[in-house]
Amino acid sequence: MNRILNRLRPLPKLKEAILGMGYVTPVFFIMGALVVLPLISTIWDSFYNVNPMRAGTPFVGFDNYAKLLSDPNVQKSWTNTFIYVAITVILETVLGVGAALLLNKVKFGRSWLLAALILPWCLPPVVNAVVWMWIYNPSYGVLNGVLLSLGLIEENRVWFNDQFTALFLISIVHAWRMMPLTAIIILAALQAIPKDLYEAAKLDGAGPIKMFRKVTLPLISGGLAIALSQSTVFAFNLFDEAWILNGAGLDTRTVMIQVYMSAFQNLKFSYGMALSILAMLASLIVSAVYVLRIYRETRFD
Amino acid sequence: MYMKNFKTVIGKTSLIFAVSLLLFWSLGPIYWSFVTSITPPNDLVSSELHLWPETVSFEHYGKLFGATSISQGNEVQSIWPQFSKAFANSLVTSIGATLLTVLIAAFGAYAFVRFTFPGRDILFYVVVATMAIPAYTVMIPLYRLMISLSLINTHTGVIFIYISAFLPLALWLMRSVYQAIPISLEEAAYLDGAGKTYTLMRIVLPLAAPGLIAAAILTFLNAWGQFMVPLVFSPTLATKPLTVLIPEFVTRNYIDYGLMNAAGIVAIAPPIILVVFLNKYLVSGLMAGSGK
Repeated sequence: MNRILNRLRPLPKLKEAILGMGYVTPVFFIMGALVVLPLISTIWDSFYNVNPMRAGTPFVGFDNYAKLLSDPNVQKSWTNTFIYVAITVILETVLGVGAALLLNKVKFGRSWLLAALILPWCLPPVVNAVVWMWIYNPSYGVLNGVLLSLGLIEENRVWFNDQFTALFLISIVHAWRMMPLTAIIILAALQAIPKDLYEAAKLDGAGPIKMFRKVTLPLISGGLAIALSQSTVFAFNLFDEAWILNGAGLDTRTVMIQVYMSAFQNLKFSYGMALSILAMLASLIVSAVYVLRIYRETRFD
Repeated sequence: MYMKNFKTVIGKTSLIFAVSLLLFWSLGPIYWSFVTSITPPNDLVSSELHLWPETVSFEHYGKLFGATSISQGNEVQSIWPQFSKAFANSLVTSIGATLLTVLIAAFGAYAFVRFTFPGRDILFYVVVATMAIPAYTVMIPLYRLMISLSLINTHTGVIFIYISAFLPLALWLMRSVYQAIPISLEEAAYLDGAGKTYTLMRIVLPLAAPGLIAAAILTFLNAWGQFMVPLVFSPTLATKPLTVLIPEFVTRNYIDYGLMNAAGIVAIAPPIILVVFLNKYLVSGLMAGSGK
């Protein structure tokens, strides 16, 4: 009896495969239905003219993309986005590496310092933007108040009147939120560096700056590449901070705000889709450049 | 000897200075928001700066929680019904998405690590690669899909969108957690005649608990802070979360900053509690999730 049952049992390999596929079924269906198929649909529809206010969806080829290139609002939003990316990536990387080096040195109360460091990343971006909007307030904001009492400005400034100042102030809010992620990634890389490398460098008579350049930097380059590419992708997707602080204002409009306005306010679905595809490609290309660059330059020498 | 002492004193001082600078940068804006939320409305529009309000007032919180309140000399209806509904919406969608994401990731990641089945690797890499897709790229087809399923403006619709957005990170994290667990434990259980699912539930999951907590915290924080998705998919108070409600306090000609900061402080309380009590898991999760 037992022998017959044993023979009837499916092969363990097959059983394992069936069980494995059972475990990943929810992953397959959720990611397929809510991410992969919509992505394909976006790419497909960007070659058509889909507008819920109009009948029919005619094929238009690269028309949407061609129109995007000549649309002045879209051009402006691209310029703004590249400025945001440049400012936030520099701020996050410099401050993040600095914070990570500092945390790596601190021994007393490190976990509390880590908690304080990471807090801005954990808060809703919208609330952050509201908090900073009050700080930047032209009449009663603390930024004007502090600068006035230090004598650095003579009268209250309306910060968002100047385009570059506005872009910079929004970038600070974004960098304030995202810097902790860079710091944590770099800190993880720093903690993986063997201590004896520093001792060896010390014996060779290397000073702190030389040690940083010759030992630390090459060994955290992998983490740096990850940190740089995540900073870039998040900066390309900047939406919340700019939307709360200055709404649809053209001076501070990002590509993602432009997508939102095209698709959900003007209901030009295909136009918005084509723009979102370009934004995705741009952020992927820029991050790929960093990763390749850093890997090429810091292959162990 | 004297020089050496001098050097350590300089080193200590600059370290303390750098730490306070970091604390000021990270906590300063949150502190200022808190101070604003307990400053009486009239003092908010004075030109003097106070690091701590001269008189502490809970008037702004009264507007949030009270029945009626006074604003600019007029009695106004409380916003508590709206605020409490939005807070509940935020909790329902965030906790729902967190529980389901962690459950799906706990089983899915285990299959990716321990089982062999056709299409395993390609599925895993496709799922991880979707982390690079900005939300807006899939938003428009999702919008049409949700309309056709009549899931617009429902908690279920929002929860499923959150799961699809945060599942890749949770899977990636849980995969590295399972890879770090020695396989010998599971083999011992099989030899004792335990089934695979039983082994996962009784032996592996308890060992993976810190990873599960980390995945849960990351998912919760991401869901709690979402703005773009509910802006499109939660148009009315039936499902509108705090992140969409709070910016609406900005009316055309008057921004009640005291009220907004008070509401902001309430909205950041859950994340702050998580960070204070579960910081260890959060940091290890971020390190594992971002590296490798």
